[in-house]
Parts: sequence; structure tokens; C-alpha cells
Amino acid sequence: MSQSNGNHEVFENLRLELRRGCLSLAVLSQLRTERYGYTLRKALAEQGLEIDEGTLYPLLRRLESQGLLTSVWREEEKRNKRFYRLSPEGKQVLKQLGAEWQKINSSLEEIL
Amino acid sequence: MELLDRYLHAIEFWLPKRQKQDIIAELSEDLRSQIEEKENELGRKLNDAEVEAILKRCGSPLEVASRYLPQNYLIGPTLFPVYRFVLVVAVMGCVIPRCLIWLGFLIIDPAHRGYLHLENLWMTVFYCVFFTTLAFVIVEKSGAKVEGLNTWNPRKLRPVRDPNRIARSGPLGEIAVAVIFNVWFVSAFWPRPAFDLFGAQITPAPVWQTIFWSFLALAVANVALAGVNLFRPYWTRLRASLRLLFDGIGGALFCWLLKAQILTGISAPGLPAPKAAELTNVLNAWMARTLPWAVVTMLVILAFDAYRIIRLRSGHPRGGSLGPAVHDLPNPTLNGN
Repeated sequence: MSQSNGNHEVFENLRLELRRGCLSLAVLSQLRTERYGYTLRKALAEQGLEIDEGTLYPLLRRLESQGLLTSVWREEEKRNKRFYRLSPEGKQVLKQLGAEWQKINSSLEEIL
Repeated sequence: MELLDRYLHAIEFWLPKRQKQDIIAELSEDLRSQIEEKENELGRKLNDAEVEAILKRCGSPLEVASRYLPQNYLIGPTLFPVYRFVLVVAVMGCVIPRCLIWLGFLIIDPAHRGYLHLENLWMTVFYCVFFTTLAFVIVEKSGAKVEGLNTWNPRKLRPVRDPNRIARSGPLGEIAVAVIFNVWFVSAFWPRPAFDLFGAQITPAPVWQTIFWSFLALAVANVALAGVNLFRPYWTRLRASLRLLFDGIGGALFCWLLKAQILTGISAPGLPAPKAAELTNVLNAWMARTLPWAVVTMLVILAFDAYRIIRLRSGHPRGGSLGPAVHDLPNPTLNGN
């Protein structure tokens, strides 16, 4: 029983590690068009990549501080919302990351 | 929305001042959107229990706030193993000498057992931990760590040492010391009715003859063992066991010497007979009192010797290799794998 719990915990940690890198790529790719946090979460969820607000917003801030995103506060439907989109630098990094992802993916497909 | 406001307020408390407003506004907007969507779905306002469920899924205020904060540490994972090692050595360096001194006082004069001063010892340990930690925090926060990591050189790393290899200096030193000591020992203490030492005549107990010859035989055996170790510089189980045996016999002989009331009389020009008798008794008593020290030292030496045998039994690879020898690895062809 405890070993099964231990295995589950190990799996969860590995799964989180695996997801962490992928999320940045997914978020960057979704921000080719301008979105605010809530719609970004919904768009990702619709494509099978659930992400909670506690993970998304700190990630958006980090990507913005790295210069990959730009953001602007704007009123929409009578509420202030922060809209994000890729910066020119972000577009370049997304392209490189996409190529890297393809490379890793094809290698892993061979390996697995 | 009272629950939501309370929740956001609790998160706000833990956030850095400059980012508070921005983060809370964004998070608030997301949560309000979630609540609104749910209300549209149900066609009514959410009750407190339903809002509570949304907030609980989002995580505790501290947990949410911590995700926005940079990861802070005093000593990072690179430096931490070094810190732990230095801390253990520093604390042991504070505690062990003081305990030994205390033990010495206890043996020599039991009335001084209070000399350990436990409160002072705890303060010493506290200062030791504090200053060691402070030094490492300074190294961590300064550029010294990065510089040290970038300037390392494989040639400067400590060579791998085989614990079963005997350095030539060991047996050479042993033989040299044994020869010098035993020449002096034989010339000064050859069994006779009285020794002439520093102008005083010392009369040994009759048991001295047995102790002398035993010590001498042991010294010859130890020199022989050192000679073999010089030309065959790897410990074997036989030689490690002989070392244990010789050290055990040496320790037992020394303890016997301390307890044997070995001095029966001292005489010197100008020393009155009653004083000489008193001096003889005092010296015998002091030798007997040092017995616990001798026992402790002997046990430490024997523990090292025993550990050497255990290490040899566990089959530590010869030559200091860190991995198994090639011939120890399973051969797939031979095993049919």
C-alpha cells in the first residue's frame, strides 16, 4: 500500500516535471494572438492542456520579465483585464523552442 | 463576493509590495470570470459553499502567493553538502576536545567534574553553528562560489586512495621509531636490581622482568610485520589480524604495567627515605590513575584495527577503483544473455 503511494508520488513528481517545460511552450504558442489570462486558460483546456490559475499567472509574469511577452491593461465587458501577446523576441524563441520540441519528440518516439 | 474579497486580501498580505495590486487585480478578474461563468451555467447566483469550492480548488492563500515569490535560500543546493560537512567537523571540533578535557579532569580529580560547564558548551556550539552558517551565507551571496566553481581543475582533485594500500612511509616510520625506541628501552631498562635514571636509582618490582621481555618480543614482532608491509604494501586479512593481535597484546601489557605497582623504591642523593617512599607511592598511584585513558586509547586503536579487517572481508577492490573490476562484471556471452 505504502509502496503504491510512493510510486504514485514519484509518478506525480515526474509528470509535473514533464509538464513544466511543455507549458511554457504551449502558453507561448497560444499567445501568437492576444489573450487575457482566463481566455488563455480556457483555450488551453479546450485543447486538453488544463492549467490552474496558480500556475498560469506566475508563468505569464516570468515570461514577461524575460521579455518574451508584452502585456497591457484594457477594459473589456466593463472589467479591467490584462491582455498578453508574444513580443518579437518571444516569436523568435517560440520558433526555436518549437524546432527543439520537434527534435525531442521525434527522438522520443524512436526511443519509446 | 465577501468570501472572494477575504481570499484575495489574504493572498495580498504575502505578496511583495510593488506587485500586490497588479497580481490581485489579475487574479481577481480570473476568479470573478470563473464565478460568472458558473452562475450563467446554473442561471442563479452561487451560494457561499459553491464559491468556497472554487477558492479551495485554487489553493490556500499562502500557497498561491508563494508561486509569485522568487525562491529564496540562504545556502543553495551546490554549497549545501560542503556546509554540512564543515558544520559537522566544526561542531565535533568544539565538543570532542572539551569532553576529553572533562574526562581527564574526572579521572585525575573527580572533584572537578563540574568543569564541563554544559551551558558554556551549548553556547560554544551555538556560536560555532552561527558563524559557520554566516560564513557560508556570505560565500553564497557573494561571487566567490561562482568563481570557485568555474576555476576547478581535474588535476587539482584529490587522488583516489585505496584504503587497503599501505603507504611506504608508514612501515618505514614504524621501523625507524621501533629501532630507536627499543635501543633506548633495552639499554635503560634491561632487567636488573635497579635502574639509573636521571641520577636517581629506581628499583623495579620483580614482575618487571616478565613485562620487559614481553615488550621486547612484541617489538620484534611489530618490526617484522612492518618489514613485510614495506615489501607487500597491501593489507591482507592475515596481516590485519596480526596487527589487531599485536596491538591488543601491547595494550594489555601497557595496562598491566600501569596497574602493577611497578616501582618498589626510589633513591637519590639528598632525598630522605620517607620522602622517597612517598614519591614511589605517588608515582605508582598516578600510573594506576591513568589506566582509564590507556584503556580508552587501546579500544580506539583496536576499533580501527577491527574495522580494517571488516573492510577487507567486505572485499574492497584493490587499487582504489571506484567501480567493479572488469572481471567482476557479468559476461553476457558466458551467461547466455
